[in-house]
Amino acid sequence: MTGDTNVSAIPVLPQNSLARAWWRHGLSGVLAAVLAVGFLVVPLIPGQFWIYVATEILILGLFAMSFNMLHGYMGQLSFGHAAFFGLGAYATGLLMRFFRPSGGEIGYLEFFLSLLAAPPVAAMGALIVSIFCVRLTGIYFAILTLAFGELLYYIVFSWYSFTKGDDGVQGLLPPPFFQNPVNFYYFTFAVVLAAMLLMWRILESPFGYTLRTLRDNQRRAAFLGINVRLHMSVNFVIAGTFAGIAGALWGPFQRSIAPGLLGWQESGVAVFMALIGGSKFFIGPIVGSAVYTFLQAFVTIYTVYWPLTIGLVILMIVLFAPGGILGLVEGLLERIGKAGAAATEQGDSANKDGTAP
Amino acid sequence: MVLFLLSAGLSLIFGVMNILNFAHATFWLLAGYITVTIYNYLLGYFAPGFYLLIPAVAGATVIMIIVGLVVERFLIRRMYNRELAEQLLLTFALVLILGDVIKLIWGVENRHIFVPVTPVEAFGAFINPYYFFLIGAGLAVAIGLWVFLHRTKYGKIVRAAVYSREMVNALGIRIPLIYAGVFAAGIGIAAFAAGIFSPLLPMALGVDIDIIIQCFAVVVIGGFGSILGTFVASLLVGVVYSFSILLWPDGALAVIFLIVIAVLIWRPWGLFGTELRS
Repeated sequence: MTGDTNVSAIPVLPQNSLARAWWRHGLSGVLAAVLAVGFLVVPLIPGQFWIYVATEILILGLFAMSFNMLHGYMGQLSFGHAAFFGLGAYATGLLMRFFRPSGGEIGYLEFFLSLLAAPPVAAMGALIVSIFCVRLTGIYFAILTLAFGELLYYIVFSWYSFTKGDDGVQGLLPPPFFQNPVNFYYFTFAVVLAAMLLMWRILESPFGYTLRTLRDNQRRAAFLGINVRLHMSVNFVIAGTFAGIAGALWGPFQRSIAPGLLGWQESGVAVFMALIGGSKFFIGPIVGSAVYTFLQAFVTIYTVYWPLTIGLVILMIVLFAPGGILGLVEGLLERIGKAGAAATEQGDSANKDGTAP
Repeated sequence: MVLFLLSAGLSLIFGVMNILNFAHATFWLLAGYITVTIYNYLLGYFAPGFYLLIPAVAGATVIMIIVGLVVERFLIRRMYNRELAEQLLLTFALVLILGDVIKLIWGVENRHIFVPVTPVEAFGAFINPYYFFLIGAGLAVAIGLWVFLHRTKYGKIVRAAVYSREMVNALGIRIPLIYAGVFAAGIGIAAFAAGIFSPLLPMALGVDIDIIIQCFAVVVIGGFGSILGTFVASLLVGVVYSFSILLWPDGALAVIFLIVIAVLIWRPWGLFGTELRS
């Protein structure tokens, strides 16, 4: 199973694990601080373009991080995670439509109510899906989540009277204050930051470490008396909820939503981001989101061949940097920082991971 | 039938190599474009007709088998011992890259949809017999695959590799060779399918994205690595899809995914598959 094949890449050894953990968290911490400052000063850049890009990075970053709760921490690959992103987006979008059926500005209270509706809706969806999904692991988990994602996609796609089907929902204007991109950006920043802090708290709790146990060896975890399915299910719902929060922000940001938000290609985006940044790091997916979204914004100025570009980038990452960008950085830091006896062995193993077997 | 031919290759690749190939339908699409190009090229020298399709299909199949071998050798082979996510991501990257390569080569001036497919006109009144030919070809591939897997020495080796990679390797059989062969064969079947269906199905960008999901549905329902299962499941999906369109037009695809979910929960290894890697 996947859990067994990647054991070597995960620091489960008691010795040196402290040092490695410091590097990991240290790297995450430093980067988080740099990113936070970076995101704070983005609006100083002239022009609105980069504010939009930064907002998109934050929203998709939160989405990718919620995916990574399942992948990086629980060791299961969900290929239908966009379903909950889309559910959140549709909950908010349809409520905003409901409050403001035609013309006029939406009130602040209604706007926040619409946003608040998204997490519970996404959580409900995730709860129902999780009941079935946690019975499977590995590739079957991936396919079942994919199937559920596609099912929800086709429901939204086909249910024209309720969701407007392929047309999507347009004209999702936030209240006047948030129509200013800078204000909306800082609002997004605050929400995403709060969500990330909460996520960090959850993942560093005993619950979070139980998830890591499930990732490393489910059978052993079961022998220890851990209720495997319950923990997987709870985590699935939490991850779905965070995806719903990200989805809630998407509608007012893009001013429209479409069924494609639930499809498997959108799920693939989260997988890309997590693996580009480094799924073994807490901060990895948002780094991946920054790279992915920035690259997309940059490349599409010059060429329509964006899929080709990102495809090649992913190919390079998968072939030559399986740990993602942060994995590369960590490998470099380890090689520079620790020439000691204990480090050589680990450096070797990191080396082996870096090049294809 | 096209669903069966595509799914058969996909199922074979997954069953033997344990790699889920997102790019399978994209290879199929690429083969379709190649067939159309060869056919149109030949039109410059010969009178249009059914017989021209034979070299076109053969050419596309051979080209795609070579492409499959190259891709296996340089990309897929590095992935055997990797994590599931990385394998999926690699094939997903291939979807994006090949999709854009198609766009670059065939769709520069008219980027979206429809590369012209002329063969339809060539057949005139012979369109109906062609359907019989397609069904016959599909059946032939199905029976051929089954006979190969169950009645020949090499088929036995391939099936043995499904059960235990290590054991087959220990017996002195070169696993990478088997894998390369299976991958190329899967792509080859897809290319053949694309070729023979090119007179009927217009090759359009983005078709691969839709069809690969249906193929996954077929493979999951039928069971990974089972030719019979794939055959039955593609019939099932086809029939259910047609009837759903009659009864509940909007929900046809939703119904198929409901079946997929039910099968995955009830028998994750599929209706005709055997429980292997639990």
